[in-house]
Amino acid sequence: MNLFLNQITAIVWKDFVTELKTRELFSAMFIFALLVILIFIFSVNLSVVKASEVGPGILWVAFLFSGTIGLNRSFMLEQENGCLMGLMLVPADRTVIYFGKLISNFIFLSIMELFILPLFMIFFNIDILEHLLPLLFVIFLGTLGFCALGTLLSSLASNLKSRDIMLPILLYPLLVPIVIAVVRMTGQILNGEPLSGMMNWIGLTASFDIIYIGVSIMTIDHILEE
Amino acid sequence: MVDHPKPDSSDFAIEVRHLLKEFGVLKAVDGISFELKRGEFLSVFGPNGAGKTTLIKILTGLTRPSSGTARVAGYEVEEGRPEMRREIGVISHSTALYADLTPMENLVFYGKMYGLECPEESALASLEDVGLAPRRHDRVRTFSRGMVQRLSIARAILHDPSILFLDEPFTGLDLHASNVFKEHLQNLHSKKRTILMTTHDVSRGLEMCDKVALQVMGQFAFFEDVKEVDKENFETMYFDAVRNNQFTMGIRQH
Repeated sequence: MNLFLNQITAIVWKDFVTELKTRELFSAMFIFALLVILIFIFSVNLSVVKASEVGPGILWVAFLFSGTIGLNRSFMLEQENGCLMGLMLVPADRTVIYFGKLISNFIFLSIMELFILPLFMIFFNIDILEHLLPLLFVIFLGTLGFCALGTLLSSLASNLKSRDIMLPILLYPLLVPIVIAVVRMTGQILNGEPLSGMMNWIGLTASFDIIYIGVSIMTIDHILEE
Repeated sequence: MVDHPKPDSSDFAIEVRHLLKEFGVLKAVDGISFELKRGEFLSVFGPNGAGKTTLIKILTGLTRPSSGTARVAGYEVEEGRPEMRREIGVISHSTALYADLTPMENLVFYGKMYGLECPEESALASLEDVGLAPRRHDRVRTFSRGMVQRLSIARAILHDPSILFLDEPFTGLDLHASNVFKEHLQNLHSKKRTILMTTHDVSRGLEMCDKVALQVMGQFAFFEDVKEVDKENFETMYFDAVRNNQFTMGIRQH
């Protein structure tokens, strides 16, 4: 068990050191998310539409689209110089690779989200501070589901020539249940509703998170095999 | 995790029986059988597309055979056991090195993945072995092909494997780098590591090995002890195979 955890930690550490040196992933994700929000700000008339109604959808579009860039880049790094082959040759269960990449993706995306949230608050003139904890909880659930499925599918798409195109085509339809749930919950939270009134949505999102992780554990061995 | 006992030690490091790998109608590996004793060095020659890389991929557990069996270090390859992977080191066309990390960071990472007790110490020792210790804090991206290949050796031997698989390791190396690389291989062979190498370099391949094989169209057309091999005849045989991509002279299926 110790080796299993150490191996996962090693993959996360390696991804962090690489990102600290290149700063490619975070900057690309952050700028893209910022641009998405800015485009929507200029295209939506906030004097007609209530910010708390359109804001959640725009926020999650920004998170998910920029997150997709991160997912694509994540396995591209492993494909360069055949590093994925190197990982598959180490004496580790293949789920180690999945969990290592999942945790890296989750942390990178979460950091980006934490930078985007204050800007979202300023641009949409929404006070999220009084609902911060429930909002962070919902973002945690949504980001986990996105990364759980996205990591699996990006490993699948990494062997394809058209991986940049295939990942969103495979990912977005399967994400629909989670996206609907987190957008609804974010809207309700911004309208001041308590989490206790959203147990169905929370249950749905948590269930999909578990299903995605479970399916990934069962299939990653076959997906990574050539 | 279940702790599997190490299998009975046998004289053979690699045992292959009727190995077959099909990609649709193409047989990349077609009924290959052979054994390699512990400490032996096998050079596998063959034209491009003969299935040499596929053979290595099967023996290292990267891909499954369509049929047949292979045992490496006493473990059934198809079971994909981590214990088997601990016994092997692989150097292939791909370096499996992260270009934006330094050699030290790369090897410490792999050391942690192999569960080494002191990955930093092992990494430094491996880098010293291949003469890259002075450049240990430079990014791999700045290295020449020869240096990267030496770093690949350091990565492959980091966990002290008993069996090494080398897939055309001389590709892209200049004369000096090839000679340095050859010295490293001879050093590893003298330490009784079992080595299976695919190569197009006939003179180097024959010079270093104990056993010779010629793979053509997925089959071992020739498998012999190097002492029994006449270099000139073998070169003629090999170049005929490369030219025709079909072996027509006295095929000898092992």
